[in-house]
Amino acid sequence: MAPPPSPDHPSPQLLGQRFLKAGCITQPQLDDALAAQSSPLSTGPDNLIGRILVRLGYLSPPQLRACLVELFTEECRYYRDHPPSSPPILAMRNVEKRLDGRMVLNGIDLEIPRHCITAIIGVSGGGKSVTLKHLIGLMRPDRGQISIDGENLQSLSAKKLQAVRRRFSLLFQGGALFDSLNVYDNVAFPLRETTPIPEHEIRPRVLQALSEVNLAGMDAKFPDELSGGMSKRVALARALVTQPEVILLDEPTAGLDPIIENSIHHLICDTFMRTKTTMVIISHAVPAIFHWCHHVIVLHQGKVRASGPALAVWESSDPVIRQFIHGELDGPIRVL
Amino acid sequence: MFIFLLQTLLASLTPPWRWRNLIKQIHFIGMRSLFVIALTSIFAGMVLALQGFYTLSRFGSEALLGPAVALSMIRELGPVLSGLMITGRAGSAMAAELGIMRIREQIDALEVMGVPPIHFLAVPRFLAGIIVLPLLTSIFDVIGILGGYLVAVQLLGLSSGTYFGGIEAAVAMHDIHTGLIKALCFGIVITWVCSFKGYFARRGAEGVSHATTSAVVLSSVLILVSDYFLTAIML
Repeated sequence: MAPPPSPDHPSPQLLGQRFLKAGCITQPQLDDALAAQSSPLSTGPDNLIGRILVRLGYLSPPQLRACLVELFTEECRYYRDHPPSSPPILAMRNVEKRLDGRMVLNGIDLEIPRHCITAIIGVSGGGKSVTLKHLIGLMRPDRGQISIDGENLQSLSAKKLQAVRRRFSLLFQGGALFDSLNVYDNVAFPLRETTPIPEHEIRPRVLQALSEVNLAGMDAKFPDELSGGMSKRVALARALVTQPEVILLDEPTAGLDPIIENSIHHLICDTFMRTKTTMVIISHAVPAIFHWCHHVIVLHQGKVRASGPALAVWESSDPVIRQFIHGELDGPIRVL
Repeated sequence: MFIFLLQTLLASLTPPWRWRNLIKQIHFIGMRSLFVIALTSIFAGMVLALQGFYTLSRFGSEALLGPAVALSMIRELGPVLSGLMITGRAGSAMAAELGIMRIREQIDALEVMGVPPIHFLAVPRFLAGIIVLPLLTSIFDVIGILGGYLVAVQLLGLSSGTYFGGIEAAVAMHDIHTGLIKALCFGIVITWVCSFKGYFARRGAEGVSHATTSAVVLSSVLILVSDYFLTAIML
């Protein structure tokens, strides 16, 4: 199988080529779409190759989704057979953390590969969110080391840590949208506060991010006027707008109905396909998560129980993992 | 708590200056407190004049009512009552707002985005407190003296010349400075304590309610305690 295109250079042309290769479209259709995209009249949020194909009538929205899923599945297979050889972007070595006298992380060792979607799963209270907060430096470990791109996180000065954090985005479980700002200002916030980008350039970027999460036209609404799914999507738009190297997602689909959950999974997949951004997802959406992630880490009792390609973890014979992913009542995990 | 104050002080000297946030906080703490300050001060001045007249008339010293009201207002009641009213109106809201931001992970979100939360949240409130409290205290003093005038002159029949003439003769610049320095210190105390309590709120709604209550209680106590020491130093 041919390797997926270089993750460093995600481009619409490349995505178009992959649509062609997967048999979703024909060469003349791709040529039309690329011509439409390069037209000076074609700008703004609707200028993505997939949307142009839909606009030109070559693909229906469900067909576009199906194409993206097919490409993604192919990529998952590739990563399963060819584990990433580049050094991990994030790593934890023997990390321990005690909270309120309880050992939450008990010697965690894990690596987050670049340009992959990594899922961290495990029973509730198993230390997943605490792990995520350690990865981005929101919590400091009692012992052990956390490194970003080989650089020890604990040894960074406050200023350097701020600079490192700007390479990341975190989608919080509750969205963490600012109540006093409307949707547009929430999404524009990181650009205004952390970049020198002028306001006239911020606007198209924010509108594009909102359009990518299917929230075009909702920019004047305030967070309390949004449903749970919409809030999550605004938070995702805010996480995407800075084009970070790594996106961390803390239970992006928790508390949502299956349709919205599915749409958020599609959004994540869609974003990954376009940008090849490294993503780390905490989720309970088993088995769905195994369809979407390249790499899965299972946490149990503050330790890494398993870590590897999604399929290998899915097929694991470890009784703890089997019980968890199949949701069985009987097994080594005690159900309270 | 002292580290938080130090961090806020240092951050307030470091760019970027968030003027919009500062103006928003000045509007919230200052403009939106004007009505309550006016209402409190007019009644404080009126009751002071009433009590003062009753006491001074026993000694035949009604002519000193103007200076008594003005000096009490400018040196003590103005800064202390303004401080207590601002603690109740704006300080509690400040603690609750920051507490809610904390429990909803909005402060963590700022950190993750690389926006220093103390710089973004505490500094504008701190600077607004320093700017607004002396201004509100000045307004409190003026309205309080006018409240005293209403009672002393319009109700009790003291001559207007006696009331204002006595004030002009008795109030020195030092008295005004004393009141304004106290107000400035109370501005620091209120914004420091309320921001700190909200910023480090924990454990959901109950934590926010606890943070708000303790912010108001501690600020009020600190205002009264520091008032004593400031008076002792500046007398």
